Amino acid sequence: MRTNTRPRPAGFLAAALAAALAAAALLLVPASPAAAHNSLTATTPAKDAELDMAPTEITLKFLQKLDPAFTTIVLSDAAEQKVPTSEPVVTGAEGTISIDGTLANGTYTVAYRVVSADGHPVQGSYAFTVADPAGAEAPTPEPAESSPAAEPTTAPTEPGSASPVAATDNDGGGDGIGAPAVIGGGILLVLVAGGLVVLLRRRRSTT
Amino acid sequence: MTGSGPRAVSRRGLLAGGALAAGGALGAAVAVTAVGSDESATRPTKTTPVAEIGLAVEPFHGTRQAGVATEPQAYAAFVALALRPETDRETLGRMLRLLSDDAARLTQGRPALADTEPELGLLPARLTVTFGFGPGFYQAANLDERRPPSVAALPAFRIDRLSPHWSGGDLLLQICADDPLTVAHAQRVLVKDSRPFATVAWVQQGFRRAAGAEPGRTQRNLFGQLDGTANPKPGAPLETAVWVPDGPAWLRDSTTLVVRRISMNLETWDLLGRTDRELSVGRRLDTGAPLTGAEEHDEPDFNALGSNGLTVIPDFSHLTRSHVTEDRLRILRRPYNYDGVPSADGTADSGLIFASYQADVTRQFLPIQRRLAERDLLNEWTTPIGSAVFAIPPGCPEGGWIGQQLLG
Repeated sequence: MRTNTRPRPAGFLAAALAAALAAAALLLVPASPAAAHNSLTATTPAKDAELDMAPTEITLKFLQKLDPAFTTIVLSDAAEQKVPTSEPVVTGAEGTISIDGTLANGTYTVAYRVVSADGHPVQGSYAFTVADPAGAEAPTPEPAESSPAAEPTTAPTEPGSASPVAATDNDGGGDGIGAPAVIGGGILLVLVAGGLVVLLRRRRSTT
Repeated sequence: MTGSGPRAVSRRGLLAGGALAAGGALGAAVAVTAVGSDESATRPTKTTPVAEIGLAVEPFHGTRQAGVATEPQAYAAFVALALRPETDRETLGRMLRLLSDDAARLTQGRPALADTEPELGLLPARLTVTFGFGPGFYQAANLDERRPPSVAALPAFRIDRLSPHWSGGDLLLQICADDPLTVAHAQRVLVKDSRPFATVAWVQQGFRRAAGAEPGRTQRNLFGQLDGTANPKPGAPLETAVWVPDGPAWLRDSTTLVVRRISMNLETWDLLGRTDRELSVGRRLDTGAPLTGAEEHDEPDFNALGSNGLTVIPDFSHLTRSHVTEDRLRILRRPYNYDGVPSADGTADSGLIFASYQADVTRQFLPIQRRLAERDLLNEWTTPIGSAVFAIPPGCPEGGWIGQQLLG
């Protein structure tokens, strides 16, 4: 029966490893519904673009087909004032707004709120800059007065629109939990891998 | 012996475990008390002795029926009856005299005539029995010209998945009380006495928080949302929204009731993060405050923009789509939760017995329902599976019966 006892540590190790991996995989699961959510894939103008001519329309392309009834695209200037545009025109996975006037030079924020095929709301924003050598300068943005009612305290954290140049794409919405879960899962995986190395080493030294 | 050994151990283990669990429970109780005393400033402290709950009485006789403006009781049974084919105006009169007498007695804590379980009739627990007339009732009475025009099957909505098992009905008995045994007994008596005249079309049983658990609070549905925040306030607003102010005797002091069974998909709702849930409702889940406010009853600001330029309250939110500001357009929601038996794999059978009172279905309920059906994001997780509309006729004086103004 001695021969039977020797492989057991290996079996135990494998089982423990499998369990740990399963636990890690479980931790990663909350992130997976997010993968089924809609997300922004391409934009015109592009994120952080510096344009030497003011755009007349803005087109956002998404992963999934858009429902016109649940698609919002808005444009605002560096002073956080809404810029007049048309309502979004939806074609498949694309939504386009036409800008009513001509954009003065300055930085603008495009924000969107759409709904995934599974009903989960997805929202985010990005910035672009108009720098037309012949264009008019936009009035210097007022220091943004923070009206508490207008601050969506529970809404997903938008990248600081106060410094729109730094504003990055944010798929907001339900993806909020995704990143921490992935990070947490990643840390766990590292720990498991580390543990595995230690255990294997110990086994090797005993044999 | 090999068998008894481990068993003895496990029994000892169980005992130890039990002692530990008891200790844990005690610890938990202490913790709860501590938390409770912390929150005593914000929580209503008034408690109602249980004996008072059982003996509490709502009036039956009056110009208007009880069970509408009545502070909602904890339990309800909505019983829809289908009249037998040969039922006519005279038969309906006999039926309603009998059922009104049952209701008049039971609601006042007296057993019904020939009550087979008279002891069950002694604790009314604020029992109300509210009678509703469906379109078929007026046809059977050959009085269709007296049917309020909005008392008819609702138009079909894109979101509907209606089942005949939960839809229609000629006569509705809405039975509400703060005690489930009282509701069960009243339902039994009324159904038994209806047998010569009608068959049971459907019954929907529901519940809210127990009497005295959250006095004066808006009820929560099984999505955890406060449900009924926008109800017209008691007094003039409720008066305007709910009651028909004039007209012939069978119309004055009447109202209408829409009952819809709304299945709520807890499985997919579970996948939604808190922020997304609040975006779809337009309110915070904890306080029920609009996303632009701090208190449940704060007026929402649909124009408030976040720093990115998006409205703080999404235009697809339930709040945005259902919002009305005029009292004459409001509906009085008096819903109950239902919670059936989960399937073998644990899928919930839960939802809401949506019940709304309004003076006129066409003026008040339909515009809201159309806006919701068109664009409410909450439709993603809710499905109407039953629908029925009834006129709630005026009340009756002592010695009278419900329906006497119409049929008498």
